[in-house]
Amino acid sequence: MSDFDTLFKNYHHSLFVYALKFVADEEVALDLVQDVFTLIWEKKKLKLDDEHLKAYLFRSIRNACLNYLKHQQVVSQYQQFQGIKEMELLYYRDGEQSLIEKENLDRIYQAIHSLSDIHREVIELSRFEGLKNKEIAEALNVPLRTVETRLFRALSALREKLSEKLFHIFLNFCCLKNKVKKLSN
Amino acid sequence: MNKTADHEQLIARYLNGNLSEEDNARLFQWIHKSPENKKQFLGLKDTWDASLKTASRETEQLLKFYKRQASQKQPRTFPSWVYGLSAAAILLLGLLIGGIFHSGLTSGTKQQVESFYVPQGSRSELTLADGTKVKLNADSRLEVSPDYSTKKRLVRLTGEAYFEVQSDVKNPFTVQTDKFDVLVTGTKFNVSSHAEDRQISTTLSEGCVQLRTNNKEVILLKPGEKISFDQRTMKPELKKVRIETELAWVNGEFIFKEILFSDLIKRLERWYDVRLSYQSKDLETMVYSGSFKNKETIWQVLDALKLTSPIDYKKKNFREFELIYKPM
Repeated sequence: MSDFDTLFKNYHHSLFVYALKFVADEEVALDLVQDVFTLIWEKKKLKLDDEHLKAYLFRSIRNACLNYLKHQQVVSQYQQFQGIKEMELLYYRDGEQSLIEKENLDRIYQAIHSLSDIHREVIELSRFEGLKNKEIAEALNVPLRTVETRLFRALSALREKLSEKLFHIFLNFCCLKNKVKKLSN
Repeated sequence: MNKTADHEQLIARYLNGNLSEEDNARLFQWIHKSPENKKQFLGLKDTWDASLKTASRETEQLLKFYKRQASQKQPRTFPSWVYGLSAAAILLLGLLIGGIFHSGLTSGTKQQVESFYVPQGSRSELTLADGTKVKLNADSRLEVSPDYSTKKRLVRLTGEAYFEVQSDVKNPFTVQTDKFDVLVTGTKFNVSSHAEDRQISTTLSEGCVQLRTNNKEVILLKPGEKISFDQRTMKPELKKVRIETELAWVNGEFIFKEILFSDLIKRLERWYDVRLSYQSKDLETMVYSGSFKNKETIWQVLDALKLTSPIDYKKKNFREFELIYKPM
């Protein structure tokens, strides 16, 4: 497999999920990701090292989404929905990193798996099965407000778990560094 | 309602429910109340976005990527295209100015035959110096003689192409292939003559064409008729056909009627730029009819084959599949 194929396979899914943050339409998101890879292909960016290449890919998809949203704004009826999306894009442009960029998606699924049953259930139904809050309320036979509260709390718990884990990784990394230092001393 | 608990509902509703305009305004207000709120909201939305489990489509998308590169890069990877088109433009210009320049130009380019090649997985279109339009199907080559002009209209084809020939009774348009020549005046027709196909054919949509085989047989076609030859015996077969079906590829569709399995496989290979292999002799005897819009992926096409006929498939390699005979 050529380097380009490997790159495509490694990042396509993450970039696609990342684009879906801002662009709801799957086909549009796929097109935007295609454009980003075309950019890499044409500019021969493959020589960059992994970290830079990854940063470049995510920056490019973000810019592509921003451009797309700007064009869409003219036709959009829900200005404020767009407002939130744009606020979000600017937030990431200013250096904040999304979990999608930081984490391996499989690890996110693992974290979901380790949530409490009630929290796991509501995330699996909404994010894996695609059910809306109202449908979840019907399926579980609980009031809509309960589902909403559970979803909020489940996401909060998941976020905590993930940042905890990232923190651990960071700590381990520091320990490792220290060990290396000690060894070299 | 307790105001502090309220944002939990609003966020959950924003992410996965119906947010009324009023709710939306309230959420917006809450987010902008403090930087902490904004951070919390964006953090939760990010967690929400990151936990989406959706089909990963990288294999299909990688194929699509290469297809797109191939069709966009044609002028660059096949410089003969650019050369050919400019030559056609110069010839047209020459005709406008007058015969003197024309003869000079043709002698200047005499040695070179223009060759237009369309790779597997794409289709292309070109206009010749006399205004004749040619659509070339995947893996096809059209050679235009260097002195091609309104007076001498001769092209050579390997593969499949659809022609819309400019009407000129005095100067017939000729398509040469390995096994037969097609002579026409003003007309729309399709020629399919891939060397590796068992069946080769010509289909007439409008006008009148005359076909001359290498064995000096002459056959006249009427609109809506298709003449096919078995390449090994060159035995002709004349049929009435539905033009929309026969020429579907011109509009990017893929319709086939009663074609041999081996020819279907070759067409699919050309159309999708994949390799398909099979061992069983039982498959060879099957005859297929069906249609695909070109939006389907090769996976969907193979799944359709699997559902409708005793065939299973497995992926062998990148863009390579093996078909297996599986009696139902």
